[in-house]
Amino acid sequence: MATNTANPLATNFEVELDGPLTSYWLALLRVITGWWFFHAGVTKLIEDGLAYSYGPMYMQEMTGTALGPIPVWMGNNLAWLIAPGVPLFETLIGLALMAGLLTRLASIGGVIFMTLFWIGNAGFGHGLVNSDLMGLLLFMTVLVLGAGRYYGLDAIVEQTKLVKRHPKLRYILG
Amino acid sequence: MTDTTTIVDRIALGLSGALFVLGIVVMGVLELLAGKPYSPAPLTNDAGDVIATPLIDPTLRTGIVIAALLVLAVWGAYKLVTPMATDAADRAEMAAD
Repeated sequence: MATNTANPLATNFEVELDGPLTSYWLALLRVITGWWFFHAGVTKLIEDGLAYSYGPMYMQEMTGTALGPIPVWMGNNLAWLIAPGVPLFETLIGLALMAGLLTRLASIGGVIFMTLFWIGNAGFGHGLVNSDLMGLLLFMTVLVLGAGRYYGLDAIVEQTKLVKRHPKLRYILG
Repeated sequence: MTDTTTIVDRIALGLSGALFVLGIVVMGVLELLAGKPYSPAPLTNDAGDVIATPLIDPTLRTGIVIAALLVLAVWGAYKLVTPMATDAADRAEMAAD
């Protein structure tokens, strides 16, 4: 990217992914998003352990959504996975984002969770763009920009011989 | 920076972006122009009676946004199974026997 010498703010505020402000903000965004999910998951684990029965119930009530009968079917038939999966995966996704490890893989999980929350909660009273969709966009941003490379463990993992031999692993790291 | 985007990349990103904008912005503008409730949720009075319904069913709008996400997911899967640009470059540099 060409340097704009006429703009004194360009060195700090230009959207260059190796710039100091961009790195700082991406790392912070990733850690705060991670904490959000970690807190949501770990409090469920503390309260209900791996038997979070509200998870399957929530999905059973997701009738008339854009996903058709899929969530209701999942709530009825995959309760054995959803009840422990919701608190466990929320916690793991949060930890992964905070550590910046397997960031993109964890973000994909976050996007799936937030999509279900967005259409399940259907809190559209103030428009389609609500806090659930903003959460979804946070995970998409972390995923697209590979935010785990900024002060995260993925920066180290991506330098290993394994990743250099199999560069496609970067699709789930970063 | 070398541009390694292919026609598939451009189609996937263009289609996904268009679906995002259609579901959120374009249909949002139509909701505004149609008047109350201005958002994809029915408006009720104090008695709980519905006094205004959204022009576009939120299921359609959320469905379009989910379709945009699915396009990105399929594109990601496609990128996973096709050779990376660097892989192709590495192969091109291999010496012939």
